[in-house]
Amino acid sequence: MKKSFMTVLIILALVLSACSSKSGTSSETKGEPVENSDSKTLIVANGTDMVTFDIHDHNTTSSEAIHVNMFNYLVRNTPDGLVSDLAESFETVDELTWSFKLKEGVTFHNGDPLTAEDVKFTLDRVAKDDTLLEHGNYKQIKEVVVKSDLEFDIITENPEPAFLNRLSRLGSSILPKNYIETEGWEVFLESPVGTGPYKFKEWKKDDRVVLVKNDNYFGDAPKWDEVIFRSIPEDSTRVSELLTGGVDIAVNIPPTDIERIESTDGVGIVKSPTQRVMMLGARTKGDGPTADPRIREAIDLAIDKQAIVDSLLDGAGTVTRTRVTPGNVGANESLYGVSLYDQDRARELIAEAGYADGLTLKMQSPNGRYLKDKESAELMVAMLAEVGITVELELLEWSTFATRYAEKSFNDLFFIAYGNSMFDASLALDRLKKENAAGETDYDNPETESLLVAAEKNMNPEERVQQYQQAQELIAEDRPQIYLYQLDSIYGINERINFTPRLDEMFYVDEITLK
Amino acid sequence: MNVVIEEKVTSNPNPVTKRMKKQAFRLLKSKTGMLGIIIVFFVTLMAVFAPVLAPFDPAKTNVVSRLLPPFWMEGGTTEYLLGTDNLGRDILSRIIYGSRISLMVGIAAVIVAGAIGMILGLIAGYYGKIFDFIIMRTVDSILAIPTILFMLIVLAVLGPSIPTLILVLGGTSWVTYARMVRSETLSVKERDYVRSAKAIGAKDFRIITKYILPNVISSFIVIATLNVATIIILEASLSFLGLGIQPPDVSWGLMLSDGRQYIATSWWVATFPGLAITITVLGVIFLGDWLRDELDPKMKD
Amino acid sequence: MKYLIQNLLKTIPVFILISLIVFVLVRVTGDPVSLLLPETATDAERESLRESLGFNDPLYMQYLHYMSDVVRGDFGESLRYNTDALAIILERLPATLELAIASMIVAILIAIPLGILSAMKRNTFLDLFITGGAVLGKAMPSFWLGIMLILLLSVVFQIFPVSGRDSLMHLVLPAITLGTGIAAEMTRLIRSSMLEILGQDFVRTARSKGLREAVVVNIHAFRNALIPVVTIMALQTSTLIGGTLITETVFAWPGMGQLLVQAVNLRDMAVVQAATFLIAFFVILSNLLADLLYRLLDPRIKYN
Repeated sequence: MKKSFMTVLIILALVLSACSSKSGTSSETKGEPVENSDSKTLIVANGTDMVTFDIHDHNTTSSEAIHVNMFNYLVRNTPDGLVSDLAESFETVDELTWSFKLKEGVTFHNGDPLTAEDVKFTLDRVAKDDTLLEHGNYKQIKEVVVKSDLEFDIITENPEPAFLNRLSRLGSSILPKNYIETEGWEVFLESPVGTGPYKFKEWKKDDRVVLVKNDNYFGDAPKWDEVIFRSIPEDSTRVSELLTGGVDIAVNIPPTDIERIESTDGVGIVKSPTQRVMMLGARTKGDGPTADPRIREAIDLAIDKQAIVDSLLDGAGTVTRTRVTPGNVGANESLYGVSLYDQDRARELIAEAGYADGLTLKMQSPNGRYLKDKESAELMVAMLAEVGITVELELLEWSTFATRYAEKSFNDLFFIAYGNSMFDASLALDRLKKENAAGETDYDNPETESLLVAAEKNMNPEERVQQYQQAQELIAEDRPQIYLYQLDSIYGINERINFTPRLDEMFYVDEITLK
Repeated sequence: MNVVIEEKVTSNPNPVTKRMKKQAFRLLKSKTGMLGIIIVFFVTLMAVFAPVLAPFDPAKTNVVSRLLPPFWMEGGTTEYLLGTDNLGRDILSRIIYGSRISLMVGIAAVIVAGAIGMILGLIAGYYGKIFDFIIMRTVDSILAIPTILFMLIVLAVLGPSIPTLILVLGGTSWVTYARMVRSETLSVKERDYVRSAKAIGAKDFRIITKYILPNVISSFIVIATLNVATIIILEASLSFLGLGIQPPDVSWGLMLSDGRQYIATSWWVATFPGLAITITVLGVIFLGDWLRDELDPKMKD
Repeated sequence: MKYLIQNLLKTIPVFILISLIVFVLVRVTGDPVSLLLPETATDAERESLRESLGFNDPLYMQYLHYMSDVVRGDFGESLRYNTDALAIILERLPATLELAIASMIVAILIAIPLGILSAMKRNTFLDLFITGGAVLGKAMPSFWLGIMLILLLSVVFQIFPVSGRDSLMHLVLPAITLGTGIAAEMTRLIRSSMLEILGQDFVRTARSKGLREAVVVNIHAFRNALIPVVTIMALQTSTLIGGTLITETVFAWPGMGQLLVQAVNLRDMAVVQAATFLIAFFVILSNLLADLLYRLLDPRIKYN
């Protein structure tokens, strides 16, 4: 039987190759699988498909990573700070008013010129329509006042010190008013039109999104003729595509494959920190043991975060005691790159708290949502056991976890990481404000609360940063969230290209160049 | 058919022993049947005596000794005969313990499926009419939805846990039993001796237990055996989709699915559980085929 | 004709039952709202989304609402893609059909020669090897086979492309992966149906007439053995479509199977429901067709 032959063959081949090679590491990667080519087509392999071209009605980073090539924001977040994109200039008129002037001569892919009306159309829609998924991040906009073809004011409900961060992220790309109003949303979603360096060509769902260069781009000329974003959900398949030269960039490489990819000619690995900080949310009130700050400290001290990063993530992470990591406004860098680990002290604290005979906690962790989440949770449970904390671990498939999370029905600890597309401490610490923490961590420290509330509306940037940094110190001591490590994203790349991954995980493809 | 009749006719004082002897003899002759029995026997043994047999706690992690190869390869130690996984857990111990859940889920699901299928099949076949209509349309509906899709939806909704897994596996597999039991019941019901029993006023319960069940039981056992094999494979597929057995429990399907990331770098993590599944399923199918030949002459080649 | 109508009528309650089963399954506990919003969403945001999507109505109202739409051909909107669910599925249908047909061809190419061969060489070593192989094919989870095939034939030997759907070459590995399980089942059934026919009177008569055995097999037995194969093929439709869920995920094949896996994970109810309906329709249709074909091929069976 042919296929059973093949089965036998494959098993045999594997066993033989494994027996003959020392560790089995290089057995699959003989030869030179990758062709070096100077093709001006860039192929990126994502783990999931893009969800929609309705930029206001999704919140997936991987979709936005594609959109940034087709659309433009008013201002753009770069490693060197905010720079103007569609906006020629901007200023604050008063605490609630931001005044903008658009660049001249910008056109949409269909030839329509960009005007202030397009900006009003775009921002009004997301600010007013509460059925849109991004509404929550834009409802702070009261209205957009058009002053001339290129000039407009944005008026906010409250003082918004981080307003420009808001306008340089998911949901703030400027849409073509005229095109959408005459053709309708249906048509726009089928063949979207933006101002960006690449134009939409096709979207085969669960397969690929194809963009082609826009010769009329107002900025620097696009570097690629065609850009293809493929969707390959299975990790091992994505790695295989990279190894055989099928794709130029593959996202979310499993840490275990790093060595194998690096030892193969023509392909390599690049890493970048991300906004995701893995943490244990802890209930700070109630009858449970975690209500005692000494127990929370003991948990922190019992977990060897560096060991998790080294062994499970193959170094693809950075330990931290804060969620506001470098690259975010308000980051407290003295808490970054450090972590506490002292199991003896942890045992003492547990004894002091009256649990000398040990204690039992419940912990929930998602399974398959974050890089090595399940394994990390299992390892933490083992580490906590060493100091006498028995953890009943409940691993939940993501949708179940998300539902339980929303219901706030977790017990003592939960393992989670939040995104932060604002690059500002306000969103990062939002969940620790008393109002949002209720039922979740129940965190309530009046000192922290007053700092957070004050900073949120403080239009003085320096003072605001200080307030946030101070708040982070308090949080690191109170431990409503026990911070563990910041996750890196791991990309496999074909060495024919230069690619420096970004903190925000966007693919600005013109930052990617041929060697 | 002749096997059964023959033995009813012979005046041997102890027909059962003779029949068993005959079967044992044929079992020896049937190489695959023998192989099946041996495999199933050993796997069962492994499952029952897991705590005695396993050298380590299957959940014991050890970061220092991660991804150690099996003992015959360079870097491997005889401490961990089949090597360790990504968390430094002993693969041999995990396979031994994994046999428990893989088998338990398989057998429990078959019991659930068999019970539902038997009862509904009997009702449909014996009482007919509206019962038959409702039950058979339900069977049609379930057959029209691919099992894996059905299970995927249910597990996603209810959350994957062992009891749910068993109930869902049972809840989708009963249709095969129901169909078989129904058609057997229909044919037996029309036989003269059943009709005359009915005519002299025998109770339904008696007719079912005395005349119908004995005719159904052999096909039933055959289907049940083969069903265990299907369920073990299904459990592995569900693990691939993230909805199978959840840690800290361990099953072969979960090990295989988790290990797929390491196929190219640490082949042993996935290969051994894969072999465990393949060999066990092979054994169960061989056993099932042999049982079919022996118990169910109608289904024989 | 009467037979056909009778069978078609029977499918109506089946469809109603399917709709009920799927509806209850999908709606009873799954809450898509928490999946649509990020971890940082507030309760008020969740509630307003829930209200606007109509999840606050009583369950039976939601069902009646849904069914009245379905009857008019409206399967609702996909939460994930914000467009008509049925359209999204129909878009993927060609890819899945292509894969399913190719897999069936692979299965037939493997199963028919091997099934006949093992029946003719009954109880020889070859027979044992083939039946053993068939069992092995059944015993191997398909995702495992798929990953192995990629490693071996794409990465090491570089014969076939890894994933995606561009050319015929892209179809080979997924079709082998999906076809193998079906072939295993089919081989076993062809073997037993061949054995049955080889033992029948008309074959014996043909042999006694002095025709060479090969001719006997070809003309008489094979034709008759083919009849149950048709039925088997139809009965495998459901298994085949179920298999696409896994195969398409492994090979990033942009079909209905992959769509369904994602839809279930994201609780994209409209898509799950519409796809399940469509699949059930296909399965029932193929069973009906097989039934008809069976009757055409085998003149001994008459319409009742």
